[in-house]
Amino acid sequence: MRMGWGLSLHITPSVQGMSERVNAEVPERCWRHWGALGGEVTGLSSSVPARWCSMEGIFLFPCFTSLHEAPGRSRRVSSNTADQKDPAGCVHYYIVPLATGVQCLCKETMTTDEVTKSEGEVQAVALTERGEDITPAQDRGVLKIIKRPGSEDASPMIGDKVYVHYKGKLANGKKFDSSRDRNEPFVFSLGKGQVIKAWDIGVATMKKGEICYLLCKPDYAYGSAGSAPKIPSNATLFFEVELLDFKGEDLFEDGGIIRRIKRKGEGYSNPNEGATVEIHLEGFCGGSRFDCKDVKFIVGEGEDHDIPIGIDKALEKMQRGEHCILYLSPRYGFGEAGKPKYGIQANAELVYEVTLKSFEKAKESWEMDTKEKLEQAAVVKEKGTMYFKEGKYLQAVIQYGKIVSWLEMEYGLSEKESKASDSFLLAAFLNLAMCYLKLREYAKAVECCDKEAASKSRVGRAAEKAACEKGLKTPGAEDEEAEGHV
Amino acid sequence: MPEERSQTTMAVDELQAIIQRCQILEEADFKGEDFNLFLVAGQKCLEDGYAAQLLEVIQNEKNKVIIKNMGWNLISPLVRCIFMYKQEDDKREHCLRILDQLAQICNPKELFLGLLEQIEQTSGDQVCQTVMLLLQPLQTVLLKLQNKKAYSVGLSLAMIMNQLTSLPVPYTKQQIQEDKLGLCQCCNAVVDFAKPFVNEVVKNMEKSSEYNDMELKEELLKFCMKSLKYPLLAAQLEQLEGIEEHPFRHFATEIIDILWNIRELMPLVVLHHKSKSPCWENQEFADIERKNSADSLACLSYLMFVQHFGIECFPVVFSPAYLLLCNMTHIEVLLKRTEESALSKGLDLFESSLLRMEDNSLLHDYLEFRDFINVPQDLVKIMTLCPMEHLRKKSLSILQLFIDKFDTQGKYTLFRCLLKTSNHAGVEGYIIKNIKDQIHLSLTEYDNMWFTGHHLISLLDLVLSLPEGAETDLLQNSDRIMASLNLLRYLVIKDCESDNQTGVWTTLTKIEQNFLKPLRVGLNMSKAHYEAEIKNKKENRKEAHSSNTVCSVTVSGEKMPAMTTGMQLQVLHSALFTFDLIESVLARVEELIEVKIKAVMDDNS
Repeated sequence: MRMGWGLSLHITPSVQGMSERVNAEVPERCWRHWGALGGEVTGLSSSVPARWCSMEGIFLFPCFTSLHEAPGRSRRVSSNTADQKDPAGCVHYYIVPLATGVQCLCKETMTTDEVTKSEGEVQAVALTERGEDITPAQDRGVLKIIKRPGSEDASPMIGDKVYVHYKGKLANGKKFDSSRDRNEPFVFSLGKGQVIKAWDIGVATMKKGEICYLLCKPDYAYGSAGSAPKIPSNATLFFEVELLDFKGEDLFEDGGIIRRIKRKGEGYSNPNEGATVEIHLEGFCGGSRFDCKDVKFIVGEGEDHDIPIGIDKALEKMQRGEHCILYLSPRYGFGEAGKPKYGIQANAELVYEVTLKSFEKAKESWEMDTKEKLEQAAVVKEKGTMYFKEGKYLQAVIQYGKIVSWLEMEYGLSEKESKASDSFLLAAFLNLAMCYLKLREYAKAVECCDKEAASKSRVGRAAEKAACEKGLKTPGAEDEEAEGHV
Repeated sequence: MPEERSQTTMAVDELQAIIQRCQILEEADFKGEDFNLFLVAGQKCLEDGYAAQLLEVIQNEKNKVIIKNMGWNLISPLVRCIFMYKQEDDKREHCLRILDQLAQICNPKELFLGLLEQIEQTSGDQVCQTVMLLLQPLQTVLLKLQNKKAYSVGLSLAMIMNQLTSLPVPYTKQQIQEDKLGLCQCCNAVVDFAKPFVNEVVKNMEKSSEYNDMELKEELLKFCMKSLKYPLLAAQLEQLEGIEEHPFRHFATEIIDILWNIRELMPLVVLHHKSKSPCWENQEFADIERKNSADSLACLSYLMFVQHFGIECFPVVFSPAYLLLCNMTHIEVLLKRTEESALSKGLDLFESSLLRMEDNSLLHDYLEFRDFINVPQDLVKIMTLCPMEHLRKKSLSILQLFIDKFDTQGKYTLFRCLLKTSNHAGVEGYIIKNIKDQIHLSLTEYDNMWFTGHHLISLLDLVLSLPEGAETDLLQNSDRIMASLNLLRYLVIKDCESDNQTGVWTTLTKIEQNFLKPLRVGLNMSKAHYEAEIKNKKENRKEAHSSNTVCSVTVSGEKMPAMTTGMQLQVLHSALFTFDLIESVLARVEELIEVKIKAVMDDNS
């Protein structure tokens, strides 16, 4: 009686003499075998009563759905079932060889609910039997079966923006969520604890284009608390997930710095501007490595160590211990000037691999007293001017910006301090305006002039303002006059 | 009577006269003067109660062109008249039909402005009535508008909401049922008013994804945001027994439906942390915008996560910790407010976010987010300063819930922070009790490094000390001192010197120096002082009376009566009683320490 895949027989729906041998236990075992064979049964809810019939060595699977492919490969059973019944009132069955020991059985009509239920069960059972345990702890908390292998070999990395479609069901087969019902893919950042643990673990194992099933124990889902109103306490969840796409994290939403994290850092605190960091970095351009070093420096002053501004900016979003790859556009790299020292041409795209070994945060403005601020202001102004003269405007902005953040809101100064502070602020605003002009960020340049003019009414600053506005109207017409204040 | 009749016929006659004159004119030839005459005559008809006749004139097909051009003029007197008549008056019915006719016939552009002007001018009790009266014609007109439709819809909604904002939101069940000013009814009418426009946006979105009618969508979004802030944030949104269809719950459902339909719900709830990009030229506007939307978004989160409105569309894969993190911003916004409506929403949102979490599952790393440190401090402020008792109680229970959710390092950090910032002996006592519970857990159930050994010692330094040494106000700090003594008593009983798991024996000299000794001195001083005071009071009762009017105390606006000497004595005695209590526990602790040390010395010898 053993037959190959895909043969169909015509059997009248109510198999004579079999109904008295119905056994509630057996269908599930059949299911289990069905599942073990890799079968998936979705979309069985229909008006056609499902009848299960099995004899020793054979499992008859009603074929009122268009099940074209043999079980064991990927397939999707369409739910269009209503008219698949043979005109003669017969139901087509697929015959599937079974392991021995399964008794003949015939299950009489199932309600729709029961069908969906068993459908959920079959997937769950298949996962329990064959699913790969993908938890780091190997505690079978998340089991996975690949339903359709991915089209590409690439897997998403931590921090990547991930696009998925998914469907979630409870153990009783009840669907609790589906991104397709919302008509848009679900997007999240991988590995950041934004989603339940099972997902952070599961989606990280997927390839682009892959569809998989995940069976998630409560510890990896919503635990004993559940998630009101849909997920009850201690629920095991079943998901079908399709990984549509993923991309590296766009740190400043301008495509300038893309980060892909190889190893996650600890905690949530980041170095701030002015923090002292210890990093290991390797720089690549066009596939060849041009830089590799361990270095300690102050965030915002990486240029002193031939480190492009993009690294400084990215460091402010990294955590202690993080190891990541950074893709820098020229603007965040060595820009138009390139870097002859490393043989890097103008407007080159760079790739860096960076490990943030440790850092010490810079003092926040409120942690410094006036004296300290004024002392530091002199230092950073010098530093800013140096960068400005070298044409490193982004770096200069950081230095001048510090003066503003320290002194702009400083009150209760003595007359002498106040005078010093005013002159620092004046220089800072004007130089910032100059930098922004050079960077072609005219709105910011005007803002700096406005602030400067607002804080100082004693001298007619209209000239500078006018100069900046001129810059605004005619991009590129840079006013060299303001440089006098540097 | 005849005189009156002649007068009324005069009004209708005048109207007929101007109508007849205009009937022969082309549309373009109507003059300003004609408009005026028409208005005056029409108004007179209305005022004299000849609405039926006016209606006849308006319905006359021959007059269509005239009405189309001049009809909008009548809106103002018409509205006035409608409010004059009683509900069941026939004349009112006529007026309503005139309004209806005008909406059908008149030039939409002029009529739109006329209607808007009426809404703008209304105030006080009449706001809701006027709005409800004019919504239907306004909708009819807007649907007919060809140009600037989105702008006009937005303008109407903004105008209506602005007018409503001045009204108090009914809060109690009784107020809601009574709906004195008609606000509940009016809000729901406004939603119905907006529905055709929502449908239009939905239809356009279905047609093509690139269809470029973002404008109407933006306007509807603004309306929803405004509604979330007012009236929803100020409203009571719990289900109320005996009210089948809670008007504000209904309103909330409708608003969330609109957001869902125009596909803005998810971006608002999920992506709010990314600053959306309405680029304001002026920083100030951007700030205002952000502040306004902060309230609205907080209310939206409350509706979704506490009341479960629209939750069926919300993805069920986010981790509870992430949801808490997202909601923390909203919780902070709400807890900074002082009105009951906002505070209780904030507390509910906080509670429900915490209840989604397992105990001990929140990583201490989260305390690096500013909100996670700020919000518990806001809770402390509520539990110590809020005048509403149920909110005080609730915030205390939520603080406990918050503590429970953190891992041990998180609890440890949180305790340190709260001890340093709360400035309230009761709260400090409460935290110290929590510390004791954690030590108990680590001694009995599972070992952990944060509530034993050197970490604990540094925490004990903070706990077992008197802020101002022997001069500390013991009465003021009695809650804290009692909790500290209880903790110390627990430690010396539970932890043998030979084990010294907690490390308390190592630091005992320091504790004696910083805590027990100054406490003993302080107790003696305080007791002596209060005893002397009692003696004084008893001796010079009369003198005390006169010298007691140095200052007066006001509690919630009411001046407290001056204390009688009897009351003062009572207070002094109760203070003494507190000192006795402290002293007895202190004595017990000292005794325990002595016994244990002696036992060890005996063992050694």
